[in-house]
Amino acid sequence: MNALRVSWLFLKIGVINELQYRVNFFVQLLQSLIQVGTALIMLALVYSHTTELNGWSESELLSLIGVQVLLGGFIHTFIQPNMQRLMEDVQQGTLDYALTKPEDSQLLISVRMVRMWQVVEIVSGLILLFVGLTGVQQSIGVADAVAFGIALLVGGVLVYCFWLVITTGAFWIVRMENVLELFEGIYQTGRWPVTVYPGWLRYSVTFLVPIGFAVTVPAEALTSRLQWQTLVFAVAFGIAVFAFTRWFWHYGLRHYSGASA
Amino acid sequence: MSVDVARLPEAGRWRSLYDFYVTTMRTAITSQLQYRVTNYFYMLGMIAEPVVYLVVWTTIADQEGGAVNGITSGEFAAYYIVWTLVRNMNIVFGAPFWEWRIREGRLAGDLLKPMYILHYDLAYFAGWKFVVVAMWLPIAFGLSAVFHPTLSPSALEIVVFIFAIWGAYLVRSMFQGTVGMLNFWTTRGAAVFDLYMAVEMLLSGRLVPLQLMPGWVQTLANFLPFKWTFGFPIESLVGNLSTQQLLLGLCAQALWIVIGLLLFKVTWSAAIKRFVSVGN
Amino acid sequence: MPDPVVHVAELTKIYKVPEREAGLRAAAKALVRRKTRDVRAVEGISFDVGAGEVVGFLGPNGAGKTTSLKMLAGLLYPTGGNALVLGYVPSRRERDYLRQMTMVMGNRNQLQWDIPALDSFELNRAIYRLQRADYLAMRDELIELLDVGDLVRKPVRNLSLGERMKVEIVGALLHRPQVLFLDEPTIGLDVTMQKRIRTFIAEYNKRHGATVLLTSHYMADVEALCKRVIVIHHGRILFDGALASLADEFAAYKTIGVVLQNGGAPLDAYGEVVHHEGDRVSIRVPKADTSRVAARLLADHEVVDLTIEEPPIEDVIESVFAQPAAV
Repeated sequence: MNALRVSWLFLKIGVINELQYRVNFFVQLLQSLIQVGTALIMLALVYSHTTELNGWSESELLSLIGVQVLLGGFIHTFIQPNMQRLMEDVQQGTLDYALTKPEDSQLLISVRMVRMWQVVEIVSGLILLFVGLTGVQQSIGVADAVAFGIALLVGGVLVYCFWLVITTGAFWIVRMENVLELFEGIYQTGRWPVTVYPGWLRYSVTFLVPIGFAVTVPAEALTSRLQWQTLVFAVAFGIAVFAFTRWFWHYGLRHYSGASA
Repeated sequence: MSVDVARLPEAGRWRSLYDFYVTTMRTAITSQLQYRVTNYFYMLGMIAEPVVYLVVWTTIADQEGGAVNGITSGEFAAYYIVWTLVRNMNIVFGAPFWEWRIREGRLAGDLLKPMYILHYDLAYFAGWKFVVVAMWLPIAFGLSAVFHPTLSPSALEIVVFIFAIWGAYLVRSMFQGTVGMLNFWTTRGAAVFDLYMAVEMLLSGRLVPLQLMPGWVQTLANFLPFKWTFGFPIESLVGNLSTQQLLLGLCAQALWIVIGLLLFKVTWSAAIKRFVSVGN
Repeated sequence: MPDPVVHVAELTKIYKVPEREAGLRAAAKALVRRKTRDVRAVEGISFDVGAGEVVGFLGPNGAGKTTSLKMLAGLLYPTGGNALVLGYVPSRRERDYLRQMTMVMGNRNQLQWDIPALDSFELNRAIYRLQRADYLAMRDELIELLDVGDLVRKPVRNLSLGERMKVEIVGALLHRPQVLFLDEPTIGLDVTMQKRIRTFIAEYNKRHGATVLLTSHYMADVEALCKRVIVIHHGRILFDGALASLADEFAAYKTIGVVLQNGGAPLDAYGEVVHHEGDRVSIRVPKADTSRVAARLLADHEVVDLTIEEPPIEDVIESVFAQPAAV
């Protein structure tokens, strides 16, 4: 329970800190509008030349984009700032401050930062999602909604794990600035259902870099495409990846303490 | 005590400038070769973008009987693979770099020296290109093996393409540099830069070949600088442009380089005025 | 008298600093019209520096030293007054001027981080349009003077702070500037390295007759290099003259040291006893009273030895800076 209290405290400090920079809210709002606008134009372009993409209608794809933007907002608010901070700390040798605190190291480095104004992105993702869903023919049952919730949670965990594994690499390769561009680039693949990708790429964005997986599975839940086996598999996959990430983090940490001693 | 206070004589202007470019480019190559991993990260992240577009349009082309607006899957593949090279050429000293230059206090050092600021940026990034293109080659081969591009350029097209990618580099350097200097006036320029990039995305042929855009967008694109940094170089190699269109394109680039240079110069002298009055 | 190399008259710099207010409405309003506050960094300073002089700028943090140097180097535009260096107006940043001066900032590096300094030097050759023979001669002379023959071949990022500073200085002097602005050139360096750089500056000044303006937190730098100092505080010049006469002007006290025959007699009546060990006593007395107190001591006690000392220069400076801003 201490873990929850610590996370809550960091969240509170982060929010108070960000409230000093309220102009950032408008900047963020504009940026989200631009992002959503570009996505909508691309969508319109695609569907001006076809009626469905690999079995996905325009509305369904809009919901999928909604999920992608929503999850992206979550990443930018909670995950990415922490990982960037971690990378800087490793580079400048200031990670020791965090490591000397009497709390689980992985938890500490994962909850230190929050970029509150990015919440705008989460909201715009939700709006896209709902607008998309109103255009979808079938109605959404309670089971679908529950499955969506679970799948989204698993997706969040997967992305978090991916980021942390990559960032842990900073213990070995100190200069990793461009990893952000790498991730942002790969994250764009999540804007389309994984099934459009040719085999090798589909496997990559499903398992190697679980972006497609993290976005497509929740969207499938809402558009009633999801089979329960997939969901069970997703949960098991999420747990396995999380366990691996935790092991890898401690492995990297041992390497780090060994190297800097 | 022998004191020698005579001023050192000057070497030739063009000779010195040539030496400056050669040395800076060599410097850029040596230092960037030390950062292969981070360079590859950047490139792989960047490659994801065209691959996504390519996959989407190929899927549609296959569904619609082989072509969209007359563009076949193979032509899409050629477009987006050449895209990756053009995109690499289009990485210039833009907004994030200006932000860095100001934040890190780099500018004072540059201002103390008798050299126009644009030369530093043009020369360094031009040198970097050699590293980037060398690293790009294996990726291009890999993409070609997977996506089977249809590409059969003529000799003239290849020559025009080589000029066009450097033309694109210059055009984008001037405009991105100008936009980047906004950092002198505000620390919250991010939204403006995003807007600029979004407009570029849509009107340059970066998102989709301009042929897929509505007619009025294509017309508009002709009169803006963006198309000449993406769409034109790509199409000079993969498209079916006539000799006249090819040469006209190069002229358009030259025109935009001049306009861009003027904008850059005006903005820079205003930026310097601001910098020396507020300090850093 | 020949024209001064540096001529400064009523030079003033006032920064406009945006004022932040709390609240969303204020933040939105600030987007349109910013509220600013004036910070008077330098207020009407005037001085001349002759060719070949080495002048030290003294003052606490924020006194206006760096601002003054930056105005002379053309990095800051003065709000008022004027400056002429070698007959040029620095803020115009003319090529001919830039080719004859240099500025070294102790906490900044201007060399490329990832490559050996030698390559950066080559770059400076092209930037300053030096002829190869001149460049090579100057480069080798500087490398020898600072003893950095091995260091210039290593990537700059692999050098220690002190090594980097030496290499940095070589890079800044390749074009044989006649005016040097040195802003804290020895900051953060160990004592040996400080000494080394000091010796070098003196040598360069002697060989090339260059004019040097330097700021430093280390009195040792100033004492070793500068015959003349300019003391700046709150943007104004408090003192401009020989280092030796600084104490005369500002020290309010002198220290009388006596060795007494009869040991520990109480001497509190003569002044503030700052030190008392066995038969040695140090007494601090107001400057004006020095000779009177000394005479009384000699008359009243059996004095074996008596000395009158100026306070250490650091203490004098400290007492100067303790003065509040003149409003």
